[in-house]
Formats: sequence, structure tokens, C-alpha cells
Amino acid sequence: MHIPDGIISASAAVSGYAATGGLTWLSLRGIRKQYVNPRTGIPRAALLTAAFFAASLIHIPIPPVSVHLVLSGLMGVILGWFAFPAILVGLLLQAVMFQHGGLTTLGINACLMGLPALLAYFIFRLRYVFGWEKPLPNAVLAFLAAFLAVAFGALMAALLIVHATPAYMDAAAERTAVMALSLAYLPVALIEGIFTAMVVIFLLKVQPDLLEGDRR
Amino acid sequence: MIAEAALSSEATGSLLGRWEARFKLPGLLMLIFSFAFVRDLRLLLPLLICAALIYRFSGLPLGYLFSRLRLPGFFLLAMAVILPFWSGQTELWRFGPLALRLEGLIGLLLITAKFTAILSVAVALFATTPLSQLTIALRTIGMPWLLTDLLLFTHRYLFQLAGDLRRMRTAARLRGFLANSLSSLKPLAYITGSMLVRSHDQAERVFQAMTLRGYGNTSLPLPVFRPALSDYLLLGAAMLLAAGFILAQYML
Amino acid sequence: MTDALNISDLTFAYPGQSPVLEEINCTIKAGEKVGLIGPNGAGKTTLFLLITGIIKPSSGQLIVLDQPVKPGTFNPAVGMIFQHTADQLISPSVREDIAFGPQNMGLNQEDIRARIKETAELTGITSLLDRPPHQLSAGEQRLVALSGILAMWPLLLIMDEPTSDLDIRYRRRLIKLLANMTGKTLFVASHDLEFVLETCSRVLLLEGSHIQADGDPAAIMGSENLMEKHGLEVPHSLSATWHRHKK
Repeated sequence: MHIPDGIISASAAVSGYAATGGLTWLSLRGIRKQYVNPRTGIPRAALLTAAFFAASLIHIPIPPVSVHLVLSGLMGVILGWFAFPAILVGLLLQAVMFQHGGLTTLGINACLMGLPALLAYFIFRLRYVFGWEKPLPNAVLAFLAAFLAVAFGALMAALLIVHATPAYMDAAAERTAVMALSLAYLPVALIEGIFTAMVVIFLLKVQPDLLEGDRR
Repeated sequence: MIAEAALSSEATGSLLGRWEARFKLPGLLMLIFSFAFVRDLRLLLPLLICAALIYRFSGLPLGYLFSRLRLPGFFLLAMAVILPFWSGQTELWRFGPLALRLEGLIGLLLITAKFTAILSVAVALFATTPLSQLTIALRTIGMPWLLTDLLLFTHRYLFQLAGDLRRMRTAARLRGFLANSLSSLKPLAYITGSMLVRSHDQAERVFQAMTLRGYGNTSLPLPVFRPALSDYLLLGAAMLLAAGFILAQYML
Repeated sequence: MTDALNISDLTFAYPGQSPVLEEINCTIKAGEKVGLIGPNGAGKTTLFLLITGIIKPSSGQLIVLDQPVKPGTFNPAVGMIFQHTADQLISPSVREDIAFGPQNMGLNQEDIRARIKETAELTGITSLLDRPPHQLSAGEQRLVALSGILAMWPLLLIMDEPTSDLDIRYRRRLIKLLANMTGKTLFVASHDLEFVLETCSRVLLLEGSHIQADGDPAAIMGSENLMEKHGLEVPHSLSATWHRHKK
């Protein structure tokens, strides 16, 4: 779901950076509310960010093809307000080290992955609202969070590709293209949802405080 | 990464290598963004020449650029298959249900040129700038310290964790695990979960060790530096070029 | 089957580097308990990765349990315990972790349950079966990792530094376990020379990409010349000065 350099219009790229600036500010505000000294959260966020970017190299076989994990939902669930900075930093490292993603499109890509991560964070927080501690409701929430995160990300990416690239199409064709691109991501969103629910069940059993990192 | 492969003596001694990162980063970023503004076909040649010159000033061998372009190049290949046949109304050539369209072809040309130019400059920028300097430059242009700290730490642990993950998958494979069907989803989720638990544990230890050495007590001031005349000149040149491309796009 | 392992002219080098292992020749008979000693970076782990087919040799031949090693294929008869147990323990409970291998072997539920019960009793971890392995002590984790391998009923058991993080009590438990194990071939790399002395009936000294010595543990590890030449020390129980001191 990364949008590379050169394909998107400059105004879209600049707006992406602006939106990223705003979301970063919002996230830093959220982090400051949570931590007396925000620095204390950094080692944990950094190690988990590194772990997430390593894990996103895992291929999930959906025979006959295999797909990459996006992990935006899981990152939101575990990192909370740190998710957006973590994604921004991860994408920057990928662009710097592997020329993967894009530099002018860094802002856009951070939004495409980071906004869904924040959405997932808010969805998963419902467990506190309802006081859910059993595995099943948590797994359902995790599934929803990750499924919606990927679906939302795919929809945004499809809209961007159709509207902000030199693909000259009439309105009807554009609608079809957006639909087709989003639908293609439906299986991925399902897999991602199930995968995230499994990881959450695992963590609830093994180390539940990892999921409550945002409650301190 | 940036340190090992690319920072050869040619790269560090080159014009770009000697350019102070705090000037180089904003200068080249502006240029890269001005490339993104280009839509006029007549500007493509100057764009490519400009990118080629900058890459030359990095002192890096051409083969390095090609090796870096290989991965993102697959995306370009996909666009080359899709765009000329799907985008636009003006048919140039028709073969059964397939029609080659002018607008798509032009779009492809634009994307290819901009993509190559932006990546060449980006490769030249990052291959001549060690991460430590890059983070200082990023802070100078306004990135919050929380992000640059996060960047340095994440980079520090990225390779270790990738290694951890590889060994975990190897150990699982020795116990017969093959990721070849959807049923492998659960073991993969467990491996991912275990990795998160490991990282979390390690983070606690890393943090304790860092606290014992005073981390978080004060925020470190940026090192002072006195830029040379050449730093200003190069920044001026980059800004002029960037302004030139944007102006030309709107005037032409 | 008389040989558990047959290595001939084995050479391995990472691309563009000088060989880690060069022209290694060695045979281990079925049922033997062999120790592998050598300084850090001698290639002990690399040799294990080659035997288990995780990496491919640059040249030479590897025959394990009368079959040539086919890199990338699953052979439950060969089990390896990794140096860091965290690399190996991936399931949310000890029970599931022990079941992981047998499940991948395609056994039915009943057999898997039987193997879990039997293995846990053997290693003495029945009381831990429902705990998450990540929360256990290093000693307990080591026994869980061992159980996960033993449940596959391996004929060749490879261990990489099994005592590195154990306290005396768990170390003793491991030594006893290995001593009582019959019908399995053991190949174990360790810097804990006393452990090797107690567990193994033969020792290989690996250094400088070659096997420098092969034979009786007490003879090899007792030779001050040989040991010091290859960056090692004679273990206390074999050292003359130590015995004098003890008197």
C-alpha cells in the first residue's frame, strides 16, 4: 500500500506532509498526556517498531499467492499514541535504507498507514469502556480494529491512486476503479483481522501488560 | 546500511559528502519536491540531467544506483503494464480488446522520469549522509526530538530483531513448520507475538540500563557548527534549481 | 544403521569470505555422545546449521542417519536445541509448544497427547504444562525447549550451549537427563568443559576451520599444550595444579 515517488501530484504530496505534521503534533500531545517524561516510552516504542517492521516482512500464504502483513491495526492496538510516530519513523527508515516507499510520498504513506493505526487504537480502547478482559471479546475487537484499519487504508489509497495520479478516467470508470482496488484488499483485511486477533489472544495469555501499555 | 555499503571514501570525499548535512538535507529535499511538481514533458530532459549531475557529485558508482533502483523498479514495471492500456481516450493502436492510449503513454513517461530522478537524488543524499548526521539535520529542520530519538533507537534494533525473527522461523522449521497454507496463520501469529514479548522484555532492560546512565535527564543540545561558504553556495544553487523547476512548470 | 553422522570433505564459507569450515571429515556412530569444543567463532554453530540442513555446504558431503542431508526439508529424526531458548519457544503454553513438532509431523491428537505426557514426565515439567513458556525461569525454559525436541523422538539430538544460562541445580538435572538417555546420538557444543567431561564419551576440538583433535575427552581436555594452543583452558577437575591445591 506504499505509494512510490513520481506517481502522485505534487499538491497531494505536500498535503500529505502537512497532514503528517498535524497528526504528529496530535500524537505528541497524546503521548505527553500519558507520560510524565515522554522519553521513558521511547525504548519500548522503538523496539516494538523495529519488531513490527521486521514482522511486516512475513508473507502470509493465500494460495496461490502470498501477501505481506500490513500490521497497521496491531501497531495501533499495542503502541497507542506512539503508533503514528513509530510508523513515520519506520517508513522513513525504509525509504532511506531500502528506497522502499518514497520520499516525496512519505507524508502520504504515513497517513495511509498511521490514520488506520489510530483508528484501530480507538476501536481497541473500547475494551476499557466495556471492561472486557476475557479473550473472546478482546479478539473480536482486535479483529474489527485490524480489519477496519486495512480496509480504511485501502480505500484511502484507492481514492488517491485514482484521483491524484495521471490516470485520466471518466467518473464512472473512477468509481469502478476505486471499488475494484478496495475489494482486492478485502481478503488481505480479513487475514490481517484474524492474524491480529490471534496475536492479541496470545498476548493476553502470555503478557497482558503489553496490551495495556497505553494505560499508565 | 548507509554506513557500511555506501559511505566509501569516494562518497565521503565527494562534493555531496563534504556538504554539511544541515544544509544538504533541506536543499536536496526542496529539489526533490520541485521534481514532483513537473508535469510538462519539455521539462523532463532538464530534470533528468539535473538528477544525473547530482548523482555524479555523490561520487557513487552507477552500479550502486541500479542496485538500489531494482526493488522499487518492480512497481514501475507494473505501471508500465497498466497505464498505457487503461488510461486516456486517444487510441494510438488497437489489438483486439487492447488499445494503446496516448494519455496513458504520456503518463507513464512522466512517472518513469520523475521516479528515476527523485530516487537518484534520494540515493545520493542518503548514501553520503551517515544516520547520526541525518538525525541532527532532521532536528534542525524541525523534527521533534521524540521522533529523532525514536529513529535512532529503531535503527539500532532493526537488524537485531530481524535476526531474532529469522532464527525463530528457522527453529520452527526444524520442528516441521512450513508456511505454505492458510493454516500457518496461527504459528506465524504466535511467532509474531513471541517476538513482541521478547522485544518488550528487552526494552525494559535497555531502558533500565539507559536510565542508569542518565538517559532522560536533560535534552541534549544540538552541536554547534559554522557552515563554510561552499555550504551556503550549494544550498543557494539547490534552491535556485528548485525554484526554477516550479516556476518553469507554471510559466510554460 | 551404524553411523549417525558422516561428514566428508565438508567446506563452508559465507559469500566473499574465507571458509568457516574447511575439509571437515568426521564420523559419529549411532548412540555416541560427542562434545564439540572450541573458542568463540570457531564454527560450532555453523557446523550444526549444516547438519540440520538450514544452510548448504559450499562443498563436501553430509550423511545424517544414512540419508544425505536435503537442505530445507523437515527431518524429525534430527532435533536441535538452539543456544537462546527464546528463539525456539513460540507458543502461548508449554503444552502447545511441545505439541508444535508432533503436530507438524502429522500425528493424530491421541498420539500427540501421549507424547506430551511422556516427554513432560521424562523432563520433569508436568507441572508447567499450562504456563506460558515466556514467563518461566531460564532453567525451566531450557527443559521446555528440550521437551519440544524430544517429543519428536529424534535419533540425533544436537544442542548448542545447553548450560550457558543454567544454575547448578538445573545444570545437574540436564546432565542426569542426558546420562539416562539411551538409543539417541548426542552432539553437543559447549564452553562448559566440565559438563562435556561428564556427559560425553568423545570430544572434537574445532578451531581455525579445522578439527584439531578428536578422541577421549579426558585425554584431549587434560592436555595443557593442546588446549592452550587453541585458546582453551584445561578444566579444573583435570588440572594437576587444582588437584594439588585440593590436597
